[in-house]
Amino acid sequence: MANETRESAQGSSRIQATGPGEVTVDIRTPDLEINFGPQHPATHGVMRILMRADGELVTGAQPHLGYLHRCAEKIGENVEWLQYLPYTDRYDYLASMNNNLGYSLAVEALLGIEIPRRATLIRIICAELNRIGSHLVAFGTYGLDIGAFTPFLYTFREREWMMALFEKICGARLTYSYIRIGGVFNDAPPGWFEEVARFCDVFDEKWKEYCDLLLVNQIYVKRTANVGVISRDMALDFGLTGPMVRGSGIDWDLRRDMPYMCYGEIWRDGAFKIPVARGEMGALGDCWDRSWVRVMEMVESTKIVRWCLDHMVDGPVIGEIPKTLKVPAGEAYVGIENPRGELGHYVVSDGGKVSIRTRVRGPSFCNLAVLEDVLPGSLVGDAIAIIGSTDIVVGETDR
Amino acid sequence: MDFRGIYDRLVAIHAPGLVKADEPRKADPKDKKDKGRAGDPFVLVEAQELARFLESCRDDDRLHFEQLIDLTATDPAKDAPDFWIGVQLLSLKFRHRLAVKALLPKSAPSLPSTVPVYRASQWHERECAEMFGITFVGHPDPRHVLLPDDWIGYPMRKDYEFPKEYHGISCE
Amino acid sequence: MSGTSAFLEGLKAGLGEFVPMWALWLGSALISVAIALGLISLIAMFSVWLERKVAGHIQCRYGPMYVGWHGWLQSIADGVKLLLKEDLIPRDADRVLFMLAPALVLAAIVGAMAAYPLAPGILFADIDLGLFFIIAMSSMTTIGVVMAGWASNSKWTIYGSMREAAQVVAYEIPLGVSLLVPVMVAGTLNLREASAAQADFFGMGWFMFKNPFMLPAFLLFLVAALAETKRAPFDLPEAESELVAGFMTEYSGIRWSFFFMEEYAAMFLMSAIGAVFFLGGFESPLTHLAGQLFGRDLVVVGAGPEFAFTAINWGALVYQLVAGGTLLVKSFLGIFLMMWLRWTLPRIRIDQVMTMGYKYLTPLALVCVLGAALWEAGWQALVRS
Repeated sequence: MANETRESAQGSSRIQATGPGEVTVDIRTPDLEINFGPQHPATHGVMRILMRADGELVTGAQPHLGYLHRCAEKIGENVEWLQYLPYTDRYDYLASMNNNLGYSLAVEALLGIEIPRRATLIRIICAELNRIGSHLVAFGTYGLDIGAFTPFLYTFREREWMMALFEKICGARLTYSYIRIGGVFNDAPPGWFEEVARFCDVFDEKWKEYCDLLLVNQIYVKRTANVGVISRDMALDFGLTGPMVRGSGIDWDLRRDMPYMCYGEIWRDGAFKIPVARGEMGALGDCWDRSWVRVMEMVESTKIVRWCLDHMVDGPVIGEIPKTLKVPAGEAYVGIENPRGELGHYVVSDGGKVSIRTRVRGPSFCNLAVLEDVLPGSLVGDAIAIIGSTDIVVGETDR
Repeated sequence: MDFRGIYDRLVAIHAPGLVKADEPRKADPKDKKDKGRAGDPFVLVEAQELARFLESCRDDDRLHFEQLIDLTATDPAKDAPDFWIGVQLLSLKFRHRLAVKALLPKSAPSLPSTVPVYRASQWHERECAEMFGITFVGHPDPRHVLLPDDWIGYPMRKDYEFPKEYHGISCE
Repeated sequence: MSGTSAFLEGLKAGLGEFVPMWALWLGSALISVAIALGLISLIAMFSVWLERKVAGHIQCRYGPMYVGWHGWLQSIADGVKLLLKEDLIPRDADRVLFMLAPALVLAAIVGAMAAYPLAPGILFADIDLGLFFIIAMSSMTTIGVVMAGWASNSKWTIYGSMREAAQVVAYEIPLGVSLLVPVMVAGTLNLREASAAQADFFGMGWFMFKNPFMLPAFLLFLVAALAETKRAPFDLPEAESELVAGFMTEYSGIRWSFFFMEEYAAMFLMSAIGAVFFLGGFESPLTHLAGQLFGRDLVVVGAGPEFAFTAINWGALVYQLVAGGTLLVKSFLGIFLMMWLRWTLPRIRIDQVMTMGYKYLTPLALVCVLGAALWEAGWQALVRS
């Protein structure tokens, strides 16, 4: 099969001599080159994949990025530390809270300041709620890619509530800028924690609906199991992180293994587990495993949120941060567990008001690189399933 | 393993190109000019040896850095003589990280590609190449990744001047 | 004697020698085409509205609510919008084929509509090969779809039309073979006669209950009909997440709406076939009752002592309406089932579609035919002995 694919990639009709006096005419039409995107329903944004296909068989794929490049890193070198925060909202716009958090933690690592405990707990609640929201979109739109429209609206029903919760706490629905350097912007309004608890209770019932409707649906399983298998070694070699790496059966989660904030405490309390794919429906590391990991992570996130609600303390939510922040010279890299994987911020300061380098290591960007290797050899329908299962946000790949 | 342990191990295995460890320190109260250094510790290596250094980090069974998380470059200042190449390594087995830094002279921004060691660096190197004008010798696919193929200049350099127009479209 | 010819005989009796027979034929043909077109438009509009309502309620929302009561005028508003939209033809498209394709698709389905019996006594054409005719005509739409895909000169449309061709070829066989089972029991391909054969047991003598192989045959027919009408989970020719919009990617405005009309009309016809050959057609206890009360024949042809006479039994109109309504309701139940499936199931991959068609459905359908034939033969022998 592999040989055939390689030959057809050159795309020519040829006459093969298979033996003395015996000629097989092998009619081989040239491969079709399709521009998959930039405007295509299944690329989740403006990404282009130059696909070569022999009929329904994909023989080559080359992602082309940059349609949403907004120079986030260059902007980071031109605005003040505090001013950069809203730009972090814009790279992974489905998990803005986590982006805020990653950047804030990186700058705080340089500043070396302590964060009030109440702020830390609120940060974790927001980050985990945002993880639920992000995975809801990932799972819902994945159903859309597979061709099931209805689960998408079911997931958005819950996401709507999550966004309403964020609207109550910070006034924005998508780009929050709520987690600030030194804490969070303001305290939660009265009754907010109770509503979050209610959300968790309701969500515990609702996620089973998604499982019944889509995750264990036979057609869905047949479409995703054994499709787009990313082996353990491949996942490590390509630097995959987050659900992608857990979907390949690697037990790794930054929240547990390199704890930041008080995740270590929560883990020691046994409040949450790390779902790791076991290859239940097919080969380990297929698309089904990745979607299963995402669904289960949402459930674990509600547990973390509950723990934080139970251990909530009173106190300030933001430390004393000057309006014009001067960050001591040095460099720091902080990676946090974003819904899509490790979001790293590498910040370099020379002691001034402006950073000299703000590097964003977006998980989507790194997870996407694996497509070049996984797509060839799959069918066109599978290619959609594989792209969907990587759960990229183009805002982050391009930054 | 903490940073000290990793560094000692690197010294012990004679990791190629290892120059020194750089750790954050408090400002010296006697020296007023010294402001100290904040943030994370890193090891400094020679740029030309970077790929081999990473290989030894990956293959050593006590370090076991399976993943390259990030590879990036930094242009510290307009008049700085060097680019910094920053690499973040991660060991899933031992749960430790290592920040690697290499100085690459701006006059000859070229170093061996690390793709043979970690395929994860493939797109990172492409990004560095287009943004900073650094040549990674031996990169399997040296195309632009984010910028258009015909983009002139290296935008992430500090001395980059924003173009006045692009294909007849005014940028001002 | 019934249907059109009887109607014409009646007309001739009424109009006498003023109008020649060929004019009557032509006139009635034109009227029939107009009715069929109108019917298709109505069915399409109602189905679109129904689809949106069904989808909405399945997805915890209301669907159209603003245009008219519960949005019942939505389809008309959409139709007006589609009519007013700019008609785009891509520069590199094959103009003639591009314009011909939607027309061909619509013409084929209007043709297929000819065999649809509105009521036992009100028909466009009482075709003895009715079932065969409908299947043949609705297969013609495939040519239109392939034509559209080719003429659009876009890679996505080529994919869509190739998939359509492959899929229809694969599923025509199980569709036809599974329909052989009721045809064998009925002994006719005529839709009206097949329906009449199920009138026993107070209108509940449906073929579905007459043979143990009928239920599997019905399920096979259902799956094949879904594939034949390009409905989910077999909507690969238009698979919006894979092929943008498949074969109709480049179409817009009224031409695009032709494809839509065809899709819904095909759904309706397939449901109607299913209703007629499995679920009793016109027959239900209600129809039976109406038939008992008002009589069944619309045109009573009697023979007097000196001359033949025809008269119209107006009371039977009630029966005809009830019978026609019964079939309509059954057809729309089929459409509802298709919608329900569409908004619940994910899409199948193309190789799975092919595997299912060739490796499972076709052999199973053949087994059903064989089993039904043996059963019928045994039954007949038993009855005779």
